[in-house]
Amino acid sequence: MAGKEDYKSVVRKKWLFIVLCAVLIMVALVLSLSIGMYDISFFDCYRVLIEHITGNITDPYEDDIIWYTRLPISVFAVIVGAVLSLGGSVMQTMLRNPLADPYTMGVSSGALLGASLAIILGESVLPFFNDQWAKIVMAFMFSLIPVSVILLFSIKRKVTPTKVILIGIAMMYIFSAIVQLIMITSSEETLAEIYSWRVGTLALTTWETIPIPLAISIVCGILLMSHHRRINVMMAGTKSAHSMGVDPNRTLIIETALVSLMTAAVVSFTGTIGFVGLVGPHIARLFVGSETKHLIPASAVFGGLFLLLANCIARVSGEYGLPVGVISAIIGCPLFIFILIKMRRKSAWS
Amino acid sequence: MGIDLNESKKKEYRNIVARKVFFLAICLIILIVTTIVSCSVGTGYEFSKTAQVIWDHIIGVTYPVRSPDWWADYYIFNNVMPGVIMALIAGAGLALAGAVMQSMMENPLADAYTTGISSGACLGAVVAIIMGYSYSTVVSGAGIVINAFIGSLIPAVIVILMVRYVGNSPATIILIGTALTFFFNSMVTLVMITSSAESLQEAYIWQVGSVTNASWADMPLMLMMCVASAVLVQLSSNKLNIMALGEKSAKSLGLDVVQFRMLCIILTSVLIASIISFTGIIGFIGLVAPHITRFLVGGDNRFVIPGSMIMGSTVLVLADLASRMLVSYGNIPLGVVMSFIGAPIFLYLIVRRKSDKEVFRWQGKRITRAWCAKNGSS
Repeated sequence: MAGKEDYKSVVRKKWLFIVLCAVLIMVALVLSLSIGMYDISFFDCYRVLIEHITGNITDPYEDDIIWYTRLPISVFAVIVGAVLSLGGSVMQTMLRNPLADPYTMGVSSGALLGASLAIILGESVLPFFNDQWAKIVMAFMFSLIPVSVILLFSIKRKVTPTKVILIGIAMMYIFSAIVQLIMITSSEETLAEIYSWRVGTLALTTWETIPIPLAISIVCGILLMSHHRRINVMMAGTKSAHSMGVDPNRTLIIETALVSLMTAAVVSFTGTIGFVGLVGPHIARLFVGSETKHLIPASAVFGGLFLLLANCIARVSGEYGLPVGVISAIIGCPLFIFILIKMRRKSAWS
Repeated sequence: MGIDLNESKKKEYRNIVARKVFFLAICLIILIVTTIVSCSVGTGYEFSKTAQVIWDHIIGVTYPVRSPDWWADYYIFNNVMPGVIMALIAGAGLALAGAVMQSMMENPLADAYTTGISSGACLGAVVAIIMGYSYSTVVSGAGIVINAFIGSLIPAVIVILMVRYVGNSPATIILIGTALTFFFNSMVTLVMITSSAESLQEAYIWQVGSVTNASWADMPLMLMMCVASAVLVQLSSNKLNIMALGEKSAKSLGLDVVQFRMLCIILTSVLIASIISFTGIIGFIGLVAPHITRFLVGGDNRFVIPGSMIMGSTVLVLADLASRMLVSYGNIPLGVVMSFIGAPIFLYLIVRRKSDKEVFRWQGKRITRAWCAKNGSS
């Protein structure tokens, strides 16, 4: 029975990592509230938060800054980080490609194109949907284009994992060129705003933006989590998956659609934030291993933590802050290259 | 002992060469026409009028001050032409760099943008500008270019070293280059935002490339570098042909591969740095132009080099023209138009059926045959 005990303690350690990350998110959340132009200390933030929740607000000005300006951004940072990172972990496992994530596969840029089309064409694009929903539905539909192109190529022809990602990046270049062109020609948006969309920013978040993406990502997250066995089997390869009673193509399509939906829901509000879906799962994998059951929640919490901290750095850089995508790229790119080298040196990725 | 070729084969070869030269001449004429058209669009002057004004300016005719002709001359030369000419030089230079890099690395996807060298150069230039250099004097301008050159060497060296680590798989090398591009672009933004009061807008303009702020004072350095590199590359185009056969074949044909590659890297880096310092990162031009040229004139670098330069200029002048014609819809940077044209071609080059090595190998055989024919049957 020692083996069973060992296994249990390993599993306990994995859950410990997840819980630890969740606690760290709580701490970092308050830390992120104290950062900004108007100086509020770490403990004052707690006081203001508790005062707001209990209902006796002593300083309306501080309350306004913390509750209505900074808190939505930080909360959304956690959600976006968790969603992108979770999407990355699922895609990496399913496609057996350590470089896959919603950004490198072009999902994010497709979603952004859909969202910007919806914004520009107005409410009339889709009947039966109001503004915000139309945006998300359009984003979802367009996010499927790059993935389907990639899946078509990888099914019809044998393409190497690096080539899959290269196709994704080429799609990303095309889509982002279209988005930029659409944005410049059709609305009064400035180049600075277009730049923010291109690299991804959280600065435009208010409380109104949060509910819908949150709801969608919770539903998709739970669905993906409940499919963890199937996703896990996919890692063994298409044939093995078949022999273990999982239809690989169906699984691929369903899970990819879920990831795309989730990504579309956040990307239509933030723009394309890159490399979060790469950093989250790979760091989480160091701690919890590759089993999907633990990898999914672990990469979600770690991704949330990562983007929250990246957003803190982004907000203190420069006079007015930076789009968070800049920071996540600076951290994510070296990791990307490192994975590439490691991948080429080992013949297969395990 | 070479291959014994009879007189008719030689004649056939000369015919092919003549046809290619003729073709290049046609491309050059198209380029000149395009340039003049581009100078006339948006000025309100007709094509013939513009051509005449430019010609008069070149041969030194001066008009009486404040006459209509004088105004036309003044307007075209100070407002329109710097941008057009900068696009022309930048297009030629970047296409040249792309053609050299593709042959040198045996990688059809390589160019200054996809390997990250442009972004490195851009970071160098931006750092120099923030440190207080400006384009106002020649020395200071050269300082920016030198800094850009140092910056461009970082990704160049990383990419070359990576070939040793991960093998010469085109897709992998380009992925590394793309990651470097993202990294250096982010660094450019970070450096600009944290160090001075620069806006995100300026950072963006640097990253997509633009020729709207061009002035005549910027040209000499760019033009000099471009011409010098073109001459050097053209002189060593036969060596490039041999490089395209693959490293082993090149060695066995008596070429010092390592040294030649080093020279090529330094040359292209200098060239790229001198262009990027003035225009910002313009993507895909070094990818599009050589491939169109190879499609039209075949893979012999003696023709690909001048052909790519002409083609690169034409494409970039046209892209600049498009970005100026769309100005009523909004201020579209040249780089956005260029990636609109270039990105689909990039995708096509990745997914096409012909394997990456095949492009060069097939050309290699023909080139060797042609080379033997040229040097007689000894």
